Amino acid sequence: MSAAPVDLTCELMAQSLAAWRVAGVVERSRDGAIVIRGACTDIRIDPAASDPMFRWMVAIDGRKRPAISVVGVLRQVREALDPGYAANRVRVALTPLVPS
Amino acid sequence: MRSDVIPISILTGFLGSGKTTILGHLLRQRGFSRTAVIINEFGEVGLDHELVEASEDSFIELKTGCLCCKIRTDLAQTLQDMVQRRDDGKCAPFDRIVIETSGLADPAPILQTLMTDTSIAGRLVLGGVVATVDTVTGAGTLQREDISQKQVALADKIVLTKLDLSGPAQPALLDRLAELNAGAAVLSADRGKIDSQCLFSAGLYDSDARSLDVNSWLAGERHSHARHDGDIQTYAVVRNEPIRAVTLTLFLETLAEHCGADLLRLKGIVNVAESPDRPAVIHGVQHVFHAPAWLKRWPSDDRSSRIVFITRRVPRRWVEALFEAIAAEVADVTVGR
Repeated sequence: MSAAPVDLTCELMAQSLAAWRVAGVVERSRDGAIVIRGACTDIRIDPAASDPMFRWMVAIDGRKRPAISVVGVLRQVREALDPGYAANRVRVALTPLVPS
Repeated sequence: MRSDVIPISILTGFLGSGKTTILGHLLRQRGFSRTAVIINEFGEVGLDHELVEASEDSFIELKTGCLCCKIRTDLAQTLQDMVQRRDDGKCAPFDRIVIETSGLADPAPILQTLMTDTSIAGRLVLGGVVATVDTVTGAGTLQREDISQKQVALADKIVLTKLDLSGPAQPALLDRLAELNAGAAVLSADRGKIDSQCLFSAGLYDSDARSLDVNSWLAGERHSHARHDGDIQTYAVVRNEPIRAVTLTLFLETLAEHCGADLLRLKGIVNVAESPDRPAVIHGVQHVFHAPAWLKRWPSDDRSSRIVFITRRVPRRWVEALFEAIAAEVADVTVGR
C-alpha cells in the first residue's frame, strides 16, 4: 500500500471523530500505524500489505479484525467508539430519476 | 420514454405559511387545469379542502394522519388508485400531481415513499419540492421550528408569501433562507397568486423539457461557500478529475450508512471516468438514492463533478475526507493490479 491511502485514512479518522462528536485523539505511531485513543477504547489501524484479501488490520483494545477497505475500517471504528450508532443501508429508488 | 409518466411535486411549508392560498389560486389557472391535488391535513377536522375551489375529482384529501409519519402506505395506495382511475377514464385526465403536505410534515419521508414504492414505480417521476415561507412570521418560525428548517432545506423552490402584509422581505430572512438552502430559487406570491409554470415546471425533472433540470438544481453549488446554519448546512464538493465508478458507489454507500437521516438531500453531476462523455446525475434523500441517470451529453463546457449536499450536522470536511480516502484507496488498488 502506498503512503497516500494511509495518510488520507488518518485524516478521515480525525474528521470522523469530530463529525460523530466522539472524544478521542488520532495520531500516527512511529511504525506508521494509525492510532486512535478514545475515551474508553484504543484502536490501532495497520495496512495489511501482505494479505491479498484484506487491506487493513484493525485492533480494538488488542482484538484484531481485518477490513477489506477504508469503508470497512470506518465501520469498525464507529462501532467501537459510538455506542449509539446504527448503520443505515442504502436503498435504491424504484422510481427513476428520468422516465425510461 | 413513456408519454404518460406523471411528474409529482410536493408543496410544503409550515402551518399558516400560505400553501392552501397558493393552491387555491393555482387551481383557477388554465396551466394548472390538468393537475390532480392531494391535500394532507393534520387535525380532527379537515378544513383545507374546503378552502380550495375545485371540481371534486381533482383533489383528494388524506386526513388519517400526517403524511410523513403515519400514512405513507395510504399515500402510495392513493397515488396508485388515482393513476388507475385516470387510465380507466374514470376521472378528469391529469398530467401532474401535487401533494400539499400538512404544515408539520417532514417532506423527506414523503420523498422516500415516492422514490421507493413498487406500486407507483414506472408511472410517477419526482417533479420537485416547493416550500412556502411566510415573510411576516417566517424568520421566527425558522428559528423556533426544526421542521420548518427542514422544509426549506429540502426545497427546490421557495415561495415567499404575505408580502402584502410584511412589505419587502427582510434581508435577515433572505439570508437565513440562503443559509439553509442556497440552491433553491426564491419566488414571491402576490396574495397567493403565482404562475403555476414557474412554480412546478421544473424541479428535479422538467416535464416540459422532458429532462433533468441539472443547471437549475446545481445552482447552489455556485453559492455554497460558507453557507451554514448550526445544524443544517449546504455545501458543494467539486472535483475536476474524473471519478471512478467504484469510488462513487463506495462514497454514496458510506454516506448513506453513516449519515442516514442527517443527509437531507444530495444532488449532483459526476464525471465518471468510465463514461467521460455522458455525465451521471445523482440524487438522494437520506439513505435512499436514485440509480444514476446518464445524460446524453454535458449540459455545459464545465466537466467537473459537482455534488451539492444539504445536511444536518454532517461537516463538509468529513465528507471531503471520506471522498479523498476512498478515491486514494481505489487508485492504489487499481495501480497495484
